[in-house]
Amino acid sequence: MKKQLVYLFCLFCLGSYAQEKFSISGYVKDNLSGEKLLGVNIIIDNTYGTTTNDYGFYSIHLKKGIHQIEISYLGYKTISKEISITGNQKIDFDLTEELAELDEIVISSNTTRKNIESIEMSVISLKGETIKKLPAILGEPDVLKSLQLLPGVSSVNEASSGFNVRGGSVDQNLILLDEATIYNASHLFGFFSVFNSNAIKNAKLYKGGIPSIYGGRLSSVLDIKQREGNTKDFGGEIGVGLISAKALIEGPILKGNKEEASGSYMLAGRRSYIDLFTFLTDDFKNSSLFFYDLNLKSNYNIGTNNRLFLSGYFGRDKFELDKFLGTIWGNTSASLRWTSILNEKLFLQTSAIYSNYDYNLDNLRTGSEFRWKSSITNYNFKPRLSWFINNNNTLKTGIDVTYYNFKPGKISPFKGSTINEEEFSQKFGLENGIYADLKQKLSDDLSLQYGVRWSNFSRLGKEDIREYNTGNPLTYNAEQDIYEENEVTQVTNYGSGKRIKTFNGLEPRISIRYLLNESNSLKLSYNKMYQYLHLISNTTSPTPLDIWSPSGPYLSPQSADQLALGYFKSFKKGKYDLSLEAYYKKLKDVTDFIDGADLLFTEEIETQVVQGKGRAYGLEVQLNKNEGKLTGWLSYTLARSENKVLGVNNNKYYPNNSDQLHELNLVGFYKLNSRWDFGVNFIFGSGRPVTYPTGRYTQNGLVVADYNNRNGNRLPTYHRLDISATLNPKKGKKGKWIFSIVNLYNRQNAASIYFNEIGETNNVEIATGMTQATKLSFFGIVPSISYEFKF
Amino acid sequence: MKNIITILLTLLIIIVSSCETDVTNDISLVETPPRLVIDGGLERNIKTPVTTQQIRLLTTAPFLSNKDFPFVSDAQVTISDGTNSWVFEHTNNGFYENSDILPEIGNTYTITILWKGETYQGTDMLLAEVPRFDKFYYEFEEETVFADEGYYVKFDTTDPINVQNFYHYRLFKNNEFVTVPDPGNSQVLIVSDEFFDGKQRIGVKPNEDIFFEIGDIATAQQLSISEPYFDYLKELFTQTGNLGNPIVGNPPPASIRGNLINLDNSSNRALGYFYVIDVEEDTVTITEN
Repeated sequence: MKKQLVYLFCLFCLGSYAQEKFSISGYVKDNLSGEKLLGVNIIIDNTYGTTTNDYGFYSIHLKKGIHQIEISYLGYKTISKEISITGNQKIDFDLTEELAELDEIVISSNTTRKNIESIEMSVISLKGETIKKLPAILGEPDVLKSLQLLPGVSSVNEASSGFNVRGGSVDQNLILLDEATIYNASHLFGFFSVFNSNAIKNAKLYKGGIPSIYGGRLSSVLDIKQREGNTKDFGGEIGVGLISAKALIEGPILKGNKEEASGSYMLAGRRSYIDLFTFLTDDFKNSSLFFYDLNLKSNYNIGTNNRLFLSGYFGRDKFELDKFLGTIWGNTSASLRWTSILNEKLFLQTSAIYSNYDYNLDNLRTGSEFRWKSSITNYNFKPRLSWFINNNNTLKTGIDVTYYNFKPGKISPFKGSTINEEEFSQKFGLENGIYADLKQKLSDDLSLQYGVRWSNFSRLGKEDIREYNTGNPLTYNAEQDIYEENEVTQVTNYGSGKRIKTFNGLEPRISIRYLLNESNSLKLSYNKMYQYLHLISNTTSPTPLDIWSPSGPYLSPQSADQLALGYFKSFKKGKYDLSLEAYYKKLKDVTDFIDGADLLFTEEIETQVVQGKGRAYGLEVQLNKNEGKLTGWLSYTLARSENKVLGVNNNKYYPNNSDQLHELNLVGFYKLNSRWDFGVNFIFGSGRPVTYPTGRYTQNGLVVADYNNRNGNRLPTYHRLDISATLNPKKGKKGKWIFSIVNLYNRQNAASIYFNEIGETNNVEIATGMTQATKLSFFGIVPSISYEFKF
Repeated sequence: MKNIITILLTLLIIIVSSCETDVTNDISLVETPPRLVIDGGLERNIKTPVTTQQIRLLTTAPFLSNKDFPFVSDAQVTISDGTNSWVFEHTNNGFYENSDILPEIGNTYTITILWKGETYQGTDMLLAEVPRFDKFYYEFEEETVFADEGYYVKFDTTDPINVQNFYHYRLFKNNEFVTVPDPGNSQVLIVSDEFFDGKQRIGVKPNEDIFFEIGDIATAQQLSISEPYFDYLKELFTQTGNLGNPIVGNPPPASIRGNLINLDNSSNRALGYFYVIDVEEDTVTITEN
């Protein structure tokens, strides 16, 4: 493995040769809180530049002499000054936030210049502050809902925290919170996400052109960074909304008399209190429904070149109905990171990460009580070296090792019931990735970023593997158009740590940016991705009870190829910018399920899963207004996403659940004066696929629907208008009010339309033989108010 | 028993204004040509012997039509156990009957239906004898979120050890079969002994939605069914209880495959399941204690 690394290393170093230059490196920080700023633009002599990395670190190479340096970052005052270079130097910059009285720019992704010049495409970046400005359901700002206002990102319905990127399924998104994988991002069955907007510094979503430092999911990477905490002063925030209360504290560690401490911390908590309302009705006595989460981040500088970070997340949802059913689910993650500036050109970061998702499902019905427990745990180690070779070449290389333990389920008696205890066999896996990524500026016009990731996955023992008479668990009977389960001929026992099956994948990635002129650029990207984990979920949107399963003898890794082409333009001196992207995605071995698959409490998952292919293509247009009292964006997506699976939909392509032909988003922010801010968004989308019945018959006294084509029909068009207003505090005061109305004109958008037999007549539950079609909508008009206080 | 989904929705209504609208009149559906449907099977019952075995043949109808199902009166129906075969004659309304056949444990039965020039065939097995009720009784229960106040029929029963058993329950009120298209059916009306093999279960309710009043005659049946029939019923109850709710368990709707195969034209599938079951039953009249 070492040899390969060295080889890759050499391969990418061709562009570097000795020059009479010195390295200038350091951090860029917020001057009030000391928080490191990521993605800050650093422009030298108005010609070339760089940006700070994920840790606020930059490194550039300059000839001896005097240079003009310009540091600019959205929402901050630009610094422009002359520096004299006489040798290798370490310079930190402190940026001052622009005063609230000034016109605000809210599209934080990139300053216009960066949008045009950056090699990145298909990337969305949101700051915590922007997320908070958007109108939010029940006044609970949510990063996942905010992302859905951008082109190419959508969700199946409002009660779905899972999101779909460019037609991909929900499990094809790699969600990272301070580098730790979050396996289920939903609270309250999907109405909210697990990300507390107060604790979030920045969220970056890669829809395409995914660099080789990331791997493991097909469709996207959502990289969320938590705030680091104030290194200068102790402070905090308290927020009270309709659904939850939040608190955050932050401050320096061991500050002493220094102006700025060597370390800082941030601790945030949130708890919902819907359950308080449920107690209002007698019916829900002894029932509970709530979620909470805790976020922690702290960092400490060891000398000038080394920093240690510790971040953690713990969240839980609890839902219990007395004598009926209870569930508890949640994610836990912890990551320890060490970043080290080895010298002016080398930056090393090493992370050790733990993450876990687990749930309990309790059957509380008298006489048959049981508890069902399921979990997925991983341990991840990833060192990465960034080498700022020269101003035109930056190399990132590293390894990524993850060990997984899947516990599909364990059933145990509860409250003295007579259930037999049983555990489904645990599964183990080891995923390795080695990558190199080179950012290369070939000329003033042409930049490249290319790299390769080699991924490898082994399903490991200890596990008993069933073997089937034909070699496969299922055989498709074309004549009957059904899958037939094959017979188990023997069970092979693999010892602890023994390799059961190994897969390898070579994942090339490349992005090209060509500057047509100062305000126009063309970009092209290609990426190949492999995914070794599969979410075993046979529903339109994920539920807390879905389990993850590793690739193995009967489940192949999924793979995707994506090609994207983009045109970027800025006009009126950067006041507006336009982006246009087209993509085509081909997917292989996407998981689907046989008709009537039974997944809960099923150990032989392989007899329920089938794999097929998918294709997704589309066009995304976004127009941003970046300056002025009124800012915002207008975006439009034209897209198609289809799957083809043997035995489903008569073996023809069918639109998958996330397919949506048209989507239009309009987002606006208006700053009236120093006290009042307004936000508005309008969403218009064509109907999602749904399956309508083609007939009915009777069986066991019930009316049964018969179906022909999967997803052959469409829900009605979706549209909604949301508004919000923020009353900022007067000078010297600290409280802030946020008012919002979601779904202003009270449209009952269809989350689904379903067909069933009417099961009640004269208030008596009984099969009536009468059929109906029902539209389910999640919410009409939802006004809300929340209050925030900073100290 | 109201299901988790209903409860969830109720809770969600509290937080947001979730809403269900009847859109029956706004929907137009594509109709497909009618398919043959079988509803019924053979029943072995040593407590109340079945003198005449009955099977019904119908066809599918448009989903939102709400008219009676068209029945099939011109089919030829034969059931065989591999050695003997019995002819089922049409009586009325799609019912086909035979009074000679006596289903036995351990046998495999095959039904052959000849209709409109096409032959359909289906097979089911009667493997395990159904365990008896250890105790059969009723209890009054107060109203809860999930169920109405009333008398509920219950029984205790012991699962035979080291035998795979699949159960299905039926409930009769005043000698009439009663059922509810409830999302909970897939967990309540059928159960496998996977997690309680060899154990006695106390207080099993054959149907958690149906309650009785004083004076009612309540009959409950515990059926021993085959594994394929269990799988079929699981899908049937999942789909008939589907409330379209994307939050919890809402698999993509699909045609449910029964066990009838069209030997002449496989794409013209028949629907429904020809079953063979063993029945345990008991009856009680609800009185004031």
